[in-house]
Amino acid sequence: MRQAGAYSGILSGGGISGRTGPHLLPLARIKKIMKKSSVDVKMISGEAPLVFSKACELFIEELTKRSWNMTIQGKRRTVHKEDVASAVVTTDVFDFLIDLVHPNASDHPSLNEEYMDKKQ
Amino acid sequence: MDDSTTRFTTGEDETANQQERLLPIANVGRIMKQILPQNAKISKEAKETMQECASEFISFVTGEASEKCKKERRKTVNGDDVCWAMGTLGFDDYAPPLKRYLDRYREVEDDRLATPQRNEEEGQPSSSAAEFSSIPKPF
Repeated sequence: MRQAGAYSGILSGGGISGRTGPHLLPLARIKKIMKKSSVDVKMISGEAPLVFSKACELFIEELTKRSWNMTIQGKRRTVHKEDVASAVVTTDVFDFLIDLVHPNASDHPSLNEEYMDKKQ
Repeated sequence: MDDSTTRFTTGEDETANQQERLLPIANVGRIMKQILPQNAKISKEAKETMQECASEFISFVTGEASEKCKKERRKTVNGDDVCWAMGTLGFDDYAPPLKRYLDRYREVEDDRLATPQRNEEEGQPSSSAAEFSSIPKPF
């Protein structure tokens, strides 16, 4: 007799309860994002989006925890975009996100100032 | 001056396209909420930023994985490639739980595909069986 729930048990058994379903993130969407990442990406096995669904969970958890540390340091209870940006900047492994969270900061600080002047 | 209609139309198109390259904000928000203390709040902008970061993460890792496949003249990016890419890019901590996750998924898939309706031949002990069944097999 096949053991019921073996499949969903595995997929949800990563620390996240199964009440939201086997996957927390939609595999089709993940696959779309993968395809758009590079022209070299031709074919994607069925497992790859699955691995990402778990990996993204871990990634979001880690970045969220670090962002929360920033929130706490600021004696606040609401995580803001700036907290996420600070978490990115202070974590080496998140270097690839620096331009995403701080588009102006790295390259042209002077341009940024110019923009601020014009605003006034 | 009411240009809200115009903005609404073009905004809608942009939003649709943008949503395609992001993970759903509800799902992202849920994962964030689950890891934070109960009294924590998350601004909408923070969730949106997280959406962007997650997509960038997928692209970043996929790019690396697909490079490897290209070098090895393989057309299909598989789960192992993704795990390897993560290890290479500094996400060493993720690699072991992911590998375990993937191995278990494969075991179940193999079981599912290999034994459609035959229960008698499941005599040999297998690691997957040991791990997942708490009920002793009938034979």
